[in-house]
Amino acid sequence: MTTPAAVASITDFSLSLVRNGTRSSVLNRVSFDIRAGEILGLVGESGSGKSVLALSLLGLLPPTSHPQAVGSVTVSGVDMLRADQAELRRVRRDVLGAIFQDPMTSLNPTMRIGRQIGEVTHDDAESVRLLETVGVRDAALRLRVYPHELSGGLRQRVMAAIAVAGRPGLIVADEPTTALDVTVQAQLLDLLRELRADFGCSVLLITHDLGVADQIADRLAVLHHGELVELGPAADVVRHPQHDYTTSLLAARLTLGMERDGRFAGGEKISGATDVGPAVRITGLRRTFAVRRGRAFGSTRRRGRGNDAQEIAAVDGVDLTIAPGEALAIVGESGSGKTTLLRIVAGLEQPTSGSVTLAGSGGPQMVFQDAGSSLTPWLSVGETLGERLLRQDLSKSEIGQRVIAALAAVDLPPEVARARPGELSGGQRQRVALARATMIPPAVLLCDEPTSALDASLAKNMLALIRDLRARLGMTVLFVTHDLAVARLMGDRIAVMRAGRVVEVGPAEQVVSSPREPYTKALLAAVPEIVEDAAS
Amino acid sequence: MTTLLPKSRIRPIAVGGSKLARPVAWGLIGLLILVTLVAVFAKVLAPDNPIQPVGEPNLPPLAAGHLLGTDQIGRDLLSRTLIGVQASWLSALAVVAGGLLVGGIVGLIAGATGGWVDTVLMRVTDLFLALPGALVAIAIVAALGSGLTNTLIGVSIVWWPYYARILRGEVKALAARPHVEAARLSGVSRTRLLTRHLLPGVVPTAIVTASLDIGNVVLLLAALSFLGLGQQAPAPELGADTARTLSQLLSQWWVPGVPGLAVLVLSLIANLGGDAVRNLLPVRR
Repeated sequence: MTTPAAVASITDFSLSLVRNGTRSSVLNRVSFDIRAGEILGLVGESGSGKSVLALSLLGLLPPTSHPQAVGSVTVSGVDMLRADQAELRRVRRDVLGAIFQDPMTSLNPTMRIGRQIGEVTHDDAESVRLLETVGVRDAALRLRVYPHELSGGLRQRVMAAIAVAGRPGLIVADEPTTALDVTVQAQLLDLLRELRADFGCSVLLITHDLGVADQIADRLAVLHHGELVELGPAADVVRHPQHDYTTSLLAARLTLGMERDGRFAGGEKISGATDVGPAVRITGLRRTFAVRRGRAFGSTRRRGRGNDAQEIAAVDGVDLTIAPGEALAIVGESGSGKTTLLRIVAGLEQPTSGSVTLAGSGGPQMVFQDAGSSLTPWLSVGETLGERLLRQDLSKSEIGQRVIAALAAVDLPPEVARARPGELSGGQRQRVALARATMIPPAVLLCDEPTSALDASLAKNMLALIRDLRARLGMTVLFVTHDLAVARLMGDRIAVMRAGRVVEVGPAEQVVSSPREPYTKALLAAVPEIVEDAAS
Repeated sequence: MTTLLPKSRIRPIAVGGSKLARPVAWGLIGLLILVTLVAVFAKVLAPDNPIQPVGEPNLPPLAAGHLLGTDQIGRDLLSRTLIGVQASWLSALAVVAGGLLVGGIVGLIAGATGGWVDTVLMRVTDLFLALPGALVAIAIVAALGSGLTNTLIGVSIVWWPYYARILRGEVKALAARPHVEAARLSGVSRTRLLTRHLLPGVVPTAIVTASLDIGNVVLLLAALSFLGLGQQAPAPELGADTARTLSQLLSQWWVPGVPGLAVLVLSLIANLGGDAVRNLLPVRR
């Protein structure tokens, strides 16, 4: 039963896919319509089946996973599960537009932007007009560039231009802002809203962040383990959730209003103390890279045959001191130099000038952004952890005991020692990485966005665990994040970085509640917070 | 009611997705092992002395007592082929293993160390790569005098640089991954970093490259002995036997045909086996 106003309708849709040789159910009796001109937010954690639903709508389920479906997914009257390829192509061309999470992989790296849009428009003037509509400046010039010459935000705008080029009735946007900075995210959400107003198309916005969904969606659908648990007007779902799962999703959100850890209340005073030397002293730190300026954008110089190398400073004169036992959170957008700074402190990169001095024993230890790739895939967890004890003269059984103790400290059972990283979940892997970093108390624990790849509830647990370990071991922590809410939770002080410089440092609460710098204010304004009802 | 989606959309793109892929792959690997066993026990399996005439000359295949017939002076072709397979196959394995060892060590050190060590090792490798392989092998054999051992030395010298290049690239890519940095931060020694954190990661590539190469070495050895540079007569050699009797191709096809087909089968098995190894290895991420 399709209401005439629906662009797409999903009726009683169940789907199972083969993954790693076993068939498992991915979606279970999902039904909803996407009405004409509405923005429907589809929210769920990883593994909830939301991306598979998007692929079903596009008729792009991977044949290698042998999809078996019950029910129907229709877009403008065509059954996307059973229509033949020619029909699917027609619907994709005439009715659908898609924006994916990573614009670098969804744009063709070997084709100029102009040709990629031209595949739909067949007309440069129209392509330029579209690029201007999605807020790309100097659009006529940009037709000549390749995707890698554009920033992430611009690439996502180009994707949006391609998506709307065919005047689609429905744009499917799968986590379009996840790879973007908050300020760029805010712009892209505005753009989606404008596109809806200009072209009258519907948008299915898939996201894991209820805050994002709340900002832009008219209605919200919440997906949990392949089941639709809640569907309703966005404002109602977010503020008066009916289902327990929605409530727990809301509770798991990392917000600027979260209660901070009472254990470290004295932390802000420690930072002022001068009687003990600092645990970490960073002075005049610079790191520059030589970059060959090709025909990169905005370059007015003609490219000669000669040496056209230019220096770019990733870290451009940073001075910071961190007191023993203090936690400093560094916040910045991508390209601000925060990760480079952290890597220099870890000793993984050499500074061009300036110095880093660490006090105390144990050296620096680091928890990387992607735990999966920071653990050697063919070594068992026990071997990986045991490696840290090789320098000490310990017997095999002593090493075994220390490994089990280290796992227990991060709430993992002893059996994990025998597992390989590939057999663990993302959250477990990050715990193992944390155990490795802290089993010998480090001089400073360096965290590089350790939770950005985790679902909100897992991230929250992980952050709590880092705070527990910090309290227990009295560790000094340097925590890099792009998320101000996380920074406020984890840091006694916050340092805001922009273009390689620290633009603002201060006690965490103060930076968040009364920022000095306009840049910090802009960052704060862009955080998608759920504002309570005006009445309350 | 479950509807299977239309056939056209669930057909697997690669054989890798089909249910038969794994047993077929294991079968091919079994064949690799079987050929090796046959090569090792060739002397036991050969029914006759391969060097002495044992029957009428030019008997066709399936003749009484001579399954593959006899050659122009009445030697048993099955026996000659078996011993020839032994020489070719074991030589190929030795060349590939030697190349893998030398090239692997050079590549591992170059890729993991970087800097001037990398530059020096790779320029030396480039030097060897720049010379035309078969010609250098011929020159070396000509200088050392012909014979199986010298041929092996000649082929080995031109063979290792490929492995050095490939493995150096693999190691370099691997060394840039966070798990290697994390291991360095953990304070593990250089040796351990090389042997535990880098080496296992390049083993799949090494095995696949090497197994695909066995066929090439078999062909190169056959080509060299075809030119008279390998195993010396009257010892059986597949390439040489084919070359010497080529004039009989139209009258008694089996005399040059049997050793020639043996080369074909050997390199086919080696290549298919190499593909099977690659398909069975878990995809590394």
